[in-house]
Amino acid sequence: MAKVVLTSLKARDFTDDEIYRAVERAIDGLDFSFRDGIQNVVVKPNLCYYWDYSTGETTDPRVVSAVIDYVRHKLGKDVSICVAEADASAMKTKYSFRVLGYDKLCQKKNAKLVNLSEGNIVDVRVNVGGKEIALPLNEILLGADLIINVPKLKTHNFIGATCALKNMFGAISKPRKFSYHEIVSYVIAGVNKIVKSHIIVVDGLIVRGSYPKKMGVIMAGDDPLATDFVALEIMGFNPKRVPYLSLAVKEQIGKVRNIKLIEDGARLSEIKRSFPSHSFLLHRISWNLQLKMLRLYEAVVGDVIPPILEK
Amino acid sequence: MNRKILLAFAASPEECEILLKVGVIGLGNMGKLHLLNALKIKGINVVAAADKSEKNRRSVEKYHVKTYDDYIKLIDAEKLDAVIVSLPNFLKREGVFSAAERKLDIFLDKPLARNFPEAQAIVQKAEKENVRLMVGVNYRYFPSVQKLKSNLDDGRIGDAVIATSELILNGPLSHSAVPTPVPDWWLNKEMSGGGALLDLGYHLIDMLSWMFGDLEVTYSNLGYRLNLPLEDSGTVVLESKKRGTTCVANVGWFSKSIFPDFNFRINVHGTVGYDSTDRYAPRNLRVHAVKEGTLNFLRRLSGRKIRYLSYTYYYSSFHEILELFFEALNKGVELPVSLEEQLDVVRVIDSVYREHGAG
Repeated sequence: MAKVVLTSLKARDFTDDEIYRAVERAIDGLDFSFRDGIQNVVVKPNLCYYWDYSTGETTDPRVVSAVIDYVRHKLGKDVSICVAEADASAMKTKYSFRVLGYDKLCQKKNAKLVNLSEGNIVDVRVNVGGKEIALPLNEILLGADLIINVPKLKTHNFIGATCALKNMFGAISKPRKFSYHEIVSYVIAGVNKIVKSHIIVVDGLIVRGSYPKKMGVIMAGDDPLATDFVALEIMGFNPKRVPYLSLAVKEQIGKVRNIKLIEDGARLSEIKRSFPSHSFLLHRISWNLQLKMLRLYEAVVGDVIPPILEK
Repeated sequence: MNRKILLAFAASPEECEILLKVGVIGLGNMGKLHLLNALKIKGINVVAAADKSEKNRRSVEKYHVKTYDDYIKLIDAEKLDAVIVSLPNFLKREGVFSAAERKLDIFLDKPLARNFPEAQAIVQKAEKENVRLMVGVNYRYFPSVQKLKSNLDDGRIGDAVIATSELILNGPLSHSAVPTPVPDWWLNKEMSGGGALLDLGYHLIDMLSWMFGDLEVTYSNLGYRLNLPLEDSGTVVLESKKRGTTCVANVGWFSKSIFPDFNFRINVHGTVGYDSTDRYAPRNLRVHAVKEGTLNFLRRLSGRKIRYLSYTYYYSSFHEILELFFEALNKGVELPVSLEEQLDVVRVIDSVYREHGAG
């Protein structure tokens, strides 16, 4: 049975101490067994772009800081902790680590900051829904004893919503992941088939729906698929209708029957009610329609389209 | 230059069918926009463009413009009258010098240069080679800015006592339709010359200088929230020695604000009243786009000239300033933006950087 623990902070100005206590309560609630011999821990935040935590788009470094402290508390000071992220189509970690405050955090916490697009990268083949794909992955990720996935609770204009499974898409070493977008569901399911997130700590301090909102939610799970099911429920989606999640269910990437939801000081229904829901479908239809109309206008009137809007 | 000799003998520029032969140097987003705009401007013939990137060159193939992988090859091979220089800041000096030595008139993307000494060298070179150089300070040509300037000049606001201005965007960290990483030169102090102040503050200081004149810095502050080697925010307080106006420029790269959101305004508080560009800018850019698109369609139907890019509000100013540049070249009249003004903008920005040890 998969477990998901939902906690929330009461104050709007979250202090480091409050964040730590929420993270601790949430992970403790999982009764996760930290087996002996764990030496290499990889923490994977969501640093998809240069927009900092206040926008609700990227993982708050204070949540990662709390996760590092928790791991050290459980596994001792000598455990090796890497905070890892790969370059993305529009983001270079050499800048995002600085801009988002991760270089300072890792210096302070004596954790390694790793660009998953550099170093030893191997192509791992995986079969998803009858389709075989090869994904370039960093050996640091493949060799980790414990992977802690720290995604955001946010909607996404392209795939609807993003949480634990989608966050691992960002761990694929290839920077130009934009090229996967035609088969994005397969790639998300594939990477999660190869790389198992052992603990998921969802940063919902500031969520991002139709606008960013301070909600003070911290959620932990021991199964990425089950965690995503709860996260999507909060964001107002039917998880079974989200293509990458239904594929993940078919591929048995996690357990979605009998999810044990522990509401520790936070009610799912209340959080769901106050989430700033966002119709990504409307956004996509509207954006595609706008671009089509623009091209028609260009052809008929002979006006110019700024290169920044060109696909 | 043959064109100048022809102009001297022509009673009016219209009497001789002169097509300025133009080349575009640099085909990044801005260079490509200039190319697309230039293709729509009457009286010029865009003959070729140059960019080191094959991808960028390929992206303009559909416009049937010859391309080169080196701008020196372009300006040596083609008999040009003028070039549009749209290079990264650290390559501008070399680009302008090469064009000026071949006696080509130059339209240059802002900023004029990375610092004041480089700006002086560029201006001196243009003067020495007797070529005409203009910086593309397109913000002056926003309809809202034109209206504010006109009201100010007409005395509708009285004596302007305080002017505040803001331009807060995400600068080079903006996210385009096709995700592309920010080019490294943008975030390299040596190569770019500066951060938000040089990038966005250049426009504000140019407009404040154009409106009020003779600016001196009385206070400045630079911010580094993004932990980059370049400032991502800045506040500059200036005093106009000419009109006594206190001007404030607030700039930032720190906002996620994405087009069509556009966080720009100039507010002027005068002895008679208050005016702001916000009063004349479209409230909803999508509604504005539909309105302007429809008007352009009707203009096209009735055989009138369309207002290029007016549906975007923001980008039409690029077309307008480029058209004015070539119109001035064709007519042999004074350029609408003087080099003295642009030198002064760089001087002001340079003084802020020097004060903060960031120059």
